[in-house]
Amino acid sequence: MLGQQLINGFTIGSIYALIALGLTMVYGVLKILHIAHAGVYAMGAYIGLWVYRLVPNLFLAMLAAMFLSGVAGILIERFLYKSMLDKSRIVPLIASIGLFIAMEETFRIIAGPYVKAFSVHFRQKPWILGSARISAPQMLVFGVTIVLLVLLWWVITRTRMGKALRAVSMDREMADALGVATEKIILLSFFISSALAGAAGVLVGVFYNSVYPTMGDIPAYKALAIIVLGGMGSIPGTILGAFLIGISETFLIGYVNVPLPRDALAFIVMIAVLMFRPYGLLGKE
Amino acid sequence: MKKWILGGLISLLALCVGVGTLWAGEIKIGFFAPLTGFAAADGASAKNAVTLALEKINVSGGINGNKVKLVIYDDRVNPQESVAIANKLVERDKVVAVVSGSYSTPTRVTAPIFNKAGIPMVAAYAVDPSITRAGPYIFRTGFLGEVEGKAAGEVAVNLLKAKTIAMFTIDNDFGRALSKGFHERIKKFGGKVVYEHAFAIGTKDFSAMLTKVKALDPDLLFISGYYEEAALAVKQARELGLTCRIEGEEGFDSPKFLELAGDAANGVVITTNLNRDDPRPFVQNFIKAYKKKYGMEPDMVGASSYDAFMVVVNAIRKAGPNPKAIRKAIAETKDFDGLTGRITHFNKLGEAMKPVQVQIVKGGEFHYFGVISDPEIITPPNK
Repeated sequence: MLGQQLINGFTIGSIYALIALGLTMVYGVLKILHIAHAGVYAMGAYIGLWVYRLVPNLFLAMLAAMFLSGVAGILIERFLYKSMLDKSRIVPLIASIGLFIAMEETFRIIAGPYVKAFSVHFRQKPWILGSARISAPQMLVFGVTIVLLVLLWWVITRTRMGKALRAVSMDREMADALGVATEKIILLSFFISSALAGAAGVLVGVFYNSVYPTMGDIPAYKALAIIVLGGMGSIPGTILGAFLIGISETFLIGYVNVPLPRDALAFIVMIAVLMFRPYGLLGKE
Repeated sequence: MKKWILGGLISLLALCVGVGTLWAGEIKIGFFAPLTGFAAADGASAKNAVTLALEKINVSGGINGNKVKLVIYDDRVNPQESVAIANKLVERDKVVAVVSGSYSTPTRVTAPIFNKAGIPMVAAYAVDPSITRAGPYIFRTGFLGEVEGKAAGEVAVNLLKAKTIAMFTIDNDFGRALSKGFHERIKKFGGKVVYEHAFAIGTKDFSAMLTKVKALDPDLLFISGYYEEAALAVKQARELGLTCRIEGEEGFDSPKFLELAGDAANGVVITTNLNRDDPRPFVQNFIKAYKKKYGMEPDMVGASSYDAFMVVVNAIRKAGPNPKAIRKAIAETKDFDGLTGRITHFNKLGEAMKPVQVQIVKGGEFHYFGVISDPEIITPPNK
């Protein structure tokens, strides 16, 4: 049972990581809480489903979802946040919440209020490891998450773009003064984070066989708990936080009969960690 | 002299008819449901079914020659919004009766407003017990959570012969009431709950709970919840290799459950109020007409809303468009032939008494498995 619960926890953690990473990156460069990120995630799921119904190729659906979500991220930055950056931080936050609600209702108007099935038929049989089993959709989640995380790590640590991104994230004005093309870097970080959210949307759609307008509701606040836990703006912290929350949720539900809903557990873990590390797991201040 | 009286009577009658026709043309019935937000799918089902009923009535000449107009509002399951809607329906729209095609929260906060204004309201599928307790103007055609829970317990121990039972209970008033009734009934027949865990609406991952249940190996897993969660729980249970029988309730009753759970849905037994194999022609006609118009199967939410609306329509047919008379006519309803079964009567509180249907999923469709009409189980509380 322990092995199975670990696998369950890692699956959830992977999904959380992909969603929360984008949020932390945006926070890193612009210092705003991008609630509409959860809307981009749902959009990714819808695009993936739409493409998959046209051409039943999951790889293609994932790529299309990532690309179009990335473009949506750029548009959001250009047309929404850009004009608000010199205002109080509450302004972009409220705009973001508004955009999120508008996106959800747009999905409903276009695709209808009912849950849509994202059924992908896997020929792969589950792997049996002792008493635990890894199902084909779980393998997909792990595979995609690992590939994307490695890719992200490579971009951030091994490329000039990544260096610039880290510089902007540390101090935007200073980076600007030193000749970093901050505008471009901000757009790039929106593209990457939104593409990750789009990928997460497709994975969740396939893994849970469901895509619906309000699928971003829970990620909208749970991703917040994760990035606060990881240390706002810290990428490794967010990944750590995502897995910590995924696994603690699974274990608390599996072993302790807590009379609390799973979504409250994320916040309890967050509070518990913040008591000892007020800036989050890997946060600095 | 006699002739004169007769003449007077006739002209009086003519005057009445005249005033009647002047006023005629429209009977306004209020309707609210969540048309946007997280519950928009249920709101759409409720609205679709009621619209279908409305069209049928208006095509065949309305109620006693008067067309019926439905005043529809979106409550978003938001209590503040619902209060505003209730006041609008009473003061601005001046409806003669109201149908709630919504959840417990909006129905509960609006019930006292309608009751005070003397406008009868019939709740379709909201389960909160306090709704009908708002007063004599409030009725409910759906089951109370506890009644359905008892029926589900009966199915578990006596139809499916389960001795050890695991439960996943949805964490809201509906789930808790179901769980209470379920426990009560199975205790009576020696059934044992070996595991119970609550989960929140919108939960997607049940693997942690299911892994635990698999280790406990019970005869039956009873899941309460709505079709999104239910489909995921059932699907994940089978993916994890859980083989025990799974029982659900009316929240499962949607074509979407079958679609999302796929093959895993087969063999699942649920308690609900719509019998797909009902031989009564109007039930089959409704199912056909709904499919034709909306391109999907009707669900329990739609069927319940249809019935709530028809209870109101029938009362207006009998009593005319006067709220007080409508209330009386609803209270005196006897053996109303609804889509969701025969409502024998409404009790003092305004709760409908009707049998609980038991359906099984076979070949990706809901089919008849049994019916529970034992009055000990289905009689709703009186106070």
